[in-house]
Amino acid sequence: MDLSRVQKELKDCNKDREISGIGIEANGGDLTHLSGTITGPVGTPYEGGTFLIDVRLTGGYPFEPPKMQFRTKVWHPNISSQNGAICLDILKDQWSPALTLKTALLSIQALLSAPEPDDPQDAVVAHQYLRDHATFVATARYWTEAFAKRVTVGIEEKVQKLVEMGFPENSVRKALEIVNGDENMALEKLCSG
Amino acid sequence: MEEFDYLSSGEEEEDCESLDGIESDDQRWTSTSLSSTQVITEESLLAAQVEDLHRVMDLLTVREQHARTLLIYHRWDIDRLIAAFVEKGREWLFSEAGVTMVESRNSASSWSSSPIMCEICIEEVPPNSVTTMDCGHCFCNDCWTEHFIVKINDGQSKRVRCMAHKCNAICDEDIVRKLVSEKNPSIADRFKRFLLESYIEDNKKVKWCPSVPHCGNAIRVDGDAYCEVECTCGKQFCFSCSLEAHSPCSCPMWDLWVKKCQDESESVNWMTANTKPCPKCNKPVEKNGGCNLVSCICGQPFCWLCGGATGRDHTWSSIAGHSCGRYNAADKAKRAETDLYRYMHYYNRFKGHMDSLTLETKLKASIQEKVSIVESKNFGNKDYSWVINGLYRLFRSRRVLSYSYPFAFYMFGEDLFGDDMTEKIREMKKNLFEDQQQQLESHVEKLSSLLEEKFDEFTEEKIRDLRMHVINFSVSVDGLCLKMYECIENDLLGPLQHAIHNIAPYNSKGIEKASELPIFQDTSANLKSTKITGANNALPRASTTNEKRATDSSQPSSSGLLRESSSMDENICSTRKRSRKDGRGDTLIDLNLPTWVVDKNGF
Repeated sequence: MDLSRVQKELKDCNKDREISGIGIEANGGDLTHLSGTITGPVGTPYEGGTFLIDVRLTGGYPFEPPKMQFRTKVWHPNISSQNGAICLDILKDQWSPALTLKTALLSIQALLSAPEPDDPQDAVVAHQYLRDHATFVATARYWTEAFAKRVTVGIEEKVQKLVEMGFPENSVRKALEIVNGDENMALEKLCSG
Repeated sequence: MEEFDYLSSGEEEEDCESLDGIESDDQRWTSTSLSSTQVITEESLLAAQVEDLHRVMDLLTVREQHARTLLIYHRWDIDRLIAAFVEKGREWLFSEAGVTMVESRNSASSWSSSPIMCEICIEEVPPNSVTTMDCGHCFCNDCWTEHFIVKINDGQSKRVRCMAHKCNAICDEDIVRKLVSEKNPSIADRFKRFLLESYIEDNKKVKWCPSVPHCGNAIRVDGDAYCEVECTCGKQFCFSCSLEAHSPCSCPMWDLWVKKCQDESESVNWMTANTKPCPKCNKPVEKNGGCNLVSCICGQPFCWLCGGATGRDHTWSSIAGHSCGRYNAADKAKRAETDLYRYMHYYNRFKGHMDSLTLETKLKASIQEKVSIVESKNFGNKDYSWVINGLYRLFRSRRVLSYSYPFAFYMFGEDLFGDDMTEKIREMKKNLFEDQQQQLESHVEKLSSLLEEKFDEFTEEKIRDLRMHVINFSVSVDGLCLKMYECIENDLLGPLQHAIHNIAPYNSKGIEKASELPIFQDTSANLKSTKITGANNALPRASTTNEKRATDSSQPSSSGLLRESSSMDENICSTRKRSRKDGRGDTLIDLNLPTWVVDKNGF
């Protein structure tokens, strides 16, 4: 795998993180297993949420597509409400080595704005999207509130708790930031070093 | 059908050839005309497609690789390709298939001396280590090579697309081969073989010979796909389904029958549970995640739920319209017992005739022995081909009889045509068919017993009698087989409303042997009258590059040569002993050797 390209990509992507709302971090020193974050697009039920995406790179990257999956639960016709699997052509046969992790994450962000219920990953959600749009919007918004906004809730409390468990504060803050405030995942990360 | 006079027996006699000749009745005409089925060997694979390639190259004035890309895209269906060209125009045809052509291949970048940024590896590379594809996209050679290897290993050799996002262009096969062979020659060979084998894999007129171990040949059929054919390796099979020759059973019937007869192995269970056949190419497809819109490696999208072909515009709401989710509740348990007895009835007869056939093949040796004894007796008539003719007639009709049982099992059972006939009509048709079947059966048995006579101990008089009987029964058995096929085609399968079942037509001479592709010997040294084969064929290994050289340079191009196909009939050489000369002379394969020697030494 082209590690130097991945490193460059990470650097490049995090440069304008504030503007694009797209971020990627390596999980520890492992460049084959990354964590991406996207912010929910404005004017959608996902607005205000920060979504964590698990990114795994195979040895063939960038000639093979990265494997991406939502770690944050999300209510969307093209994303499995069960396991976060994403139905997006560029992650499958339309992948091109000229695309990057950032463009892939941007495409996922665009997918949040423009669902394609005709090619669903989650038939239940797609059905609701087409037949009962109001309920769909409400559910999606509720899920965003419930699962994608934890980062703002009591971050200091979590830091405190983890520090009390014996981890250095710097690492705790960094781990929490990477996993988007999920306490258990941060712990997992801290334990794995 | 009961009465036969001597006239008809005389006709039969005319058909008779020497003892060996009967084994291959069609030998006579393969050497003079193209039969409708041909064997494509490893060496003639390129030659077989050259005609199609050159038609497209001439029609559209394109290079061979572009012609190949177009043909692969249109699955080697030239008529469809031409229709698309006429209807939608050159531009559409090319862009749809991913063929792009730019005027000058040397874009400005290759002349500049400053380093170029490759957008894939995000590294600066010297200008001599980048490659610009026909579509104009330029990346470094290392990235191209990696990309090609991933695609080839992924089984996508036939359509390796450009690396740029949303670029539909197919990469230049020469560049692919050149770059990949620098890094990994075996993958480059595989790429080339995949491209060549597309002619077999993607072409509905060509199928691999299903022999095990595989003989390496493929069979091309020009006419009706419902036919039975014999490869030069001796394997006989149904061209339509690649299973053993099974007429008068239809392919779906035979498929069901085979499955019914064999215990399902573990792998079969796994395949049924985890794969679905592609509606286009029938390869089993495993779903590796994602939604229910599945794409086969051949490019055909289909619905995973029902297995039906869909367009790319397959919609969620149309999934709802599928009947695939509905459980078909048939109460089969009740009839299980009667079904079993019914199956056993047909199976025992099917098997019985197969066993007789096996026993009768042993008859051949003893008959030949008897013939040589009688021949030494100096009787008036020295021609004993009638015995062997009768024996082959027995083999063929025994085969027909055997396969007529699984046919009847499905034709008059509930499994396939339960809704297609009323009980009364079914009974009537069944009686009609069984009458014919019984008649054929009794004649076949009679023929069999005649052939078992110890005629080597007979007087001349008695032999003359036996000869007459054997010939008469041979003719009547042949006629009865034909009648049975006609009855099946016209009265039984033809009128079906809800299903289409086709069978290979009856062939009185047995299963057709595919002829080898004709090789036109070059007598005038300069490849003047090559038609289909010629220079390209003589050089299987280096052919593509040579051809390219020939088309690109000012030498008489091979396409030019192909058009000048005059007086080719004089130049046909025997199909058994092929002679090909290599005009350019750096490789020389002596094809005067028997085929099997050549095959072993071939590439």
